[in-house]
Formats: sequence, structure tokens, C-alpha cells
Amino acid sequence: MFFADEVEKRRHAMPTIVACFKWVIDEAYIRRSSSGELDFSSVDYKISEYDRNAIEEAVRLKEIHGGNVITVTVGVPEATKGVKDALSRGSDQAYFIADASFRNLESSQTAAILAEVIRSRIVSYDLIICGEGSSDLYAQQVGARLAEHLEIPCISFVQKLSMEGGRLIAERKVEQYTEITATPLPALVTVLPEINSPRIPGVKDTLTASKKPTVTIKKDELSPIGEARLQTTGISASRMDRTCEKFGTEAAELTRFVESLRKKGAIR
Amino acid sequence: MAGVWIFAENREQTLELLNVGRQLAAEMETGVSALLWYDHERAGDYISHGADEVLLLPALPEDQSLEAYIPVVVAEAKKGDPDVFLFVASARGKELSARIATRLDTGLCSNCITLKYDKESKTLEMERLAYGGAAVQKVTCPARPVMATIPPRTFEPTAAEDGRNGHIRELSAPPPSVVKILERKVKAREAKDINEARVVVSVGRGIEKKEDLAIARELADVLGGEIGCTRPISEEMHWLPEELCIGLSGVQIKPDLYVGLGISGQIQHVTGIRNARVICAINKDENAPIFGVADFGIVGDLYSVVPKLVQELKKI
Repeated sequence: MFFADEVEKRRHAMPTIVACFKWVIDEAYIRRSSSGELDFSSVDYKISEYDRNAIEEAVRLKEIHGGNVITVTVGVPEATKGVKDALSRGSDQAYFIADASFRNLESSQTAAILAEVIRSRIVSYDLIICGEGSSDLYAQQVGARLAEHLEIPCISFVQKLSMEGGRLIAERKVEQYTEITATPLPALVTVLPEINSPRIPGVKDTLTASKKPTVTIKKDELSPIGEARLQTTGISASRMDRTCEKFGTEAAELTRFVESLRKKGAIR
Repeated sequence: MAGVWIFAENREQTLELLNVGRQLAAEMETGVSALLWYDHERAGDYISHGADEVLLLPALPEDQSLEAYIPVVVAEAKKGDPDVFLFVASARGKELSARIATRLDTGLCSNCITLKYDKESKTLEMERLAYGGAAVQKVTCPARPVMATIPPRTFEPTAAEDGRNGHIRELSAPPPSVVKILERKVKAREAKDINEARVVVSVGRGIEKKEDLAIARELADVLGGEIGCTRPISEEMHWLPEELCIGLSGVQIKPDLYVGLGISGQIQHVTGIRNARVICAINKDENAPIFGVADFGIVGDLYSVVPKLVQELKKI
């Protein structure tokens, strides 16, 4: 796969770039009931924040090199809204793997499904871009797991990306420094939010989006889905037990505020 | 074969993981193996800090990165069949662990903050944060090994014990990865490390212009602390460097005192301060969520309150 003639072939071809995204609960709408429990009754959904950066980066590279951008998502049938949103953000085509049972897929399952569809339906791709993690569960695993299933190189936490002469040049953030890497294609990257600023689709983009092709794939067209490798046994509101004492702005109140800090040992 | 395996990027993180690893190994009646790739002379040090075995990974050529170790670690894990495999939740630790988990066909609890072994059911119960920190997700992993990444500074480092013995074993050199490192750029730190600060004064959108950061800095100075910020201040306004951005996807801090100025208290930011000992907030919006997670709050305009507070603190 990584021989010189492969690199040579890709040097001149226009790339096919796949951007994966997840349709998630917008966490800003999660409320707490009076008893402190999480209340999901009035939530709205969105394309996960960092996945918007993934789509934007795919479209940005297409604007430079030509080719085409394919967005792929696995989710519940309602995620069709997300598929439209992704198309209005500049992708040319979408693959939507939909089933009502896909609400709580675990990373290992999502990655396996994406891999099967990309391997069997998209076949000839050059680059796969994922966000660094989803804004709901933020397990940060699907990208890396997907690369392993497809047996292609993986570069995570990328903040700068370019395609040069059939190679991928990616700058990835590692704690104290950045590594500039060169990788033969095809490859997979996960991107950080600082890589770009996702465009906000206009009315015209939304109209064009509805004319773009979407391939919907049903669960029974896939191999049986394996057991979740990680099982969720509960989700509860995180607690932060604090005294929540309020103070005014008058001099006496500020004196009392400073006194409280001292009593707590927060100031010396 | 069995055991608790750990993988970290430096000594500090290794000692933290050895601490968790030792506790789990005692309950599971097994041993701890530490993988070591960066400084082979540390092996003895890690044995005295709780490792029963140190697995040495051969040094890599200049143009190779940690992912080159994946095939060697996977082969060793298939042979050794560990019960638990813990990684530091650094950028590379997260990628490596997810890829190794895929090859071992097992589950991975990312950014795990608690681990509890239930002897009766022989299950490791783990917790992590979800929905930007609003929720705690409890997970178990029915496959082997149980894998988790643990954020740096989640646990205390273990202490050394006299007279501990352990094995040191060298693993084989990996074949080169097709990912080549062309260059490593050390980031010039633009600010002090707020992880070490005893007091952190953090600013949010309530600050109207960049020059007004001086107000926060003055408060930080009088409290003997450093300043930090929310994501919009570093990522959108670029008023402060990104290493000062506090939150789930930024720095998670544990100071004695945190003071939030003009911060609404979005959950992602709050997650970065949940381990602060005392949390204070100054905001003119009395309904700002930050007051719900603060010990002490002042409802008022930071532009008039902070200078008065600085005067009050100077009296001490």
C-alpha cells in the first residue's frame, strides 16, 4: 500500500476526502431537575463541535486540491438533520448509516461500522478526517480505532494539515512540543479545534445541500454489530457541593468576603 | 499470566499510575508491570516505587514516534494477558491506548477519574466525566484487559519503599512506522505553569478589552497567584496564550483558591476547576451558573468590585 508508485499515483490525482461526524445532544440544553438529576427533556442536537472542524478541513483541502468530500455518520434516523447540515457545510456527498438502535453506540462499535462502510462503499479514499473527540461523551477513540480497522496510518490531535506531493504533512500537538509528521496516503487524522474556524452555512448552501446525493445504509446491510467493549452502567449528574454563599459590594461585605477566605485558609 | 500494566511518558506520571496500579494489584492479588521507553536507568527507581516488573522498550530512531511501539506492546500484551492496562491520558497516551485496545479487541475508559475493584463480582468499576463535565458516566469493561487512560495529577505519586525487588526485561525493537517525524518544535512557554499556582484568578467574557486584564493581574499579584482564562479569551480573542485556558479541553487545575472574574460558568470551564479547594466568583449577573458551583460569590460589576477588593486585601 505504501510503495513509491502508490505515492506517485496519488501525487497527481484529485483526492477523495472523508470527514466523519457525530450528531450529538447539545450539552447546553441539559438541565438539572430540582432533585439534582439530569433532565434531557428539552435538549436539542447538533453536529459535534470538533467534527465541524473536521468537515471544514476536508472542504478547505478540496478547495486547494480539487477532488471531493464525503461526509459519513452513524446514528439514529433523526440524525438526517445533521446529514443536511454537513452537506451545507461544503461536502459533496453523504453516507448515512441509520438505525433507531444506534443511539448509544460505544466507540468500538461506531468505529467498526464506519470501517465496514468506508471499506466496502467508498473504497478509494485518500484521507479520513475526524474531530479529536465528540462533545457528548468525549471518549476520543473513534478516529484511532477506525484507522486500526482500516490498517492505515493515524495522526491524532493535528493543528495544521497539508497535502504535498502525495504525502500528508501534519503538525500534531504533543504536550510540550509539536511534531511535524510526513505520512503516505491513505491516512487518518483527528483534528483539534484550532485548526480552522468552521464556516456558517448560508441560505444558498442549505438549498444546494438538499440537491446533493445521500446514500442511506440500513443496519441489515451491515455485518452483525459486536457487543459494546465498554458498558455504561449509569449516568448521573456530576456533583459539586459548594457553599454558594453570596456577598454584596459594599465595604463591609467585601471585608466579610476576605474574612471568609481567610477562615477557609484560601489566603494567607 | 495476569497483572496491572502501566504506560506513562515521564517519571511524575509513572509514579501516579504506580500508585493506582499498586492499590488495584493488591486487591486483585497480582503484580504491577511498568513499560519504560524513555530513560532505561529509571527501571530500578520504578521498582522501588512499586513496580514488580519493568518492561524496557528499545529507544527509537530520531524520525520515529511512540506509535512505532504499538506492535511490540500488543504482542507482549497478548503473551502476558494483563488484567488491567492503564495509560496516562496525554495526547500520545490517548492515541496509543485506543489503537492498542482495538488490536486487543477490548474496551477503553477514556479520562478515567476513579477506579474501584469489586472483589465479589471481580469487576473494575470506573468513572469518567461526560457532557462537558455535567455528568458522571460509570463504566465496566467485560473484555480483557480492562483499559483506561488517566489524566495526569488525578492521583498522588507513590512513595519509594526500601528493599523492593523486581525483574527488568527488554522487549524487542519494533519495525519502523510509516509515519515519519520531520521536525519537533518545542513550544516556547508564553506563560507560567498555572498547574503549580496556589491561587488562580481567571477571566471570562465579562472582561471588555485586552487592557482590562491588568485588573485581573493586579488581583492575582496581591493574592500571590497567576491568571488563567476561559476558552473564548484564548481561542477567539487571543488575549492570553492557550496554555492558560482552563477547562475540559484545556488545563484542569487544583489551586487552593480560584477566583472567576466575569465568568458565566459554562460547564466545560467549570470542569477544569472542580478540584479547586475554594471557588470564588465575581459577576454582575446574579443568575450566572458560576454562582451555583462557587463557595463564595460577589454579585457586582468586576470593574468596581475588584479594585476595592484589592485595597481590602492590601490591608492584611
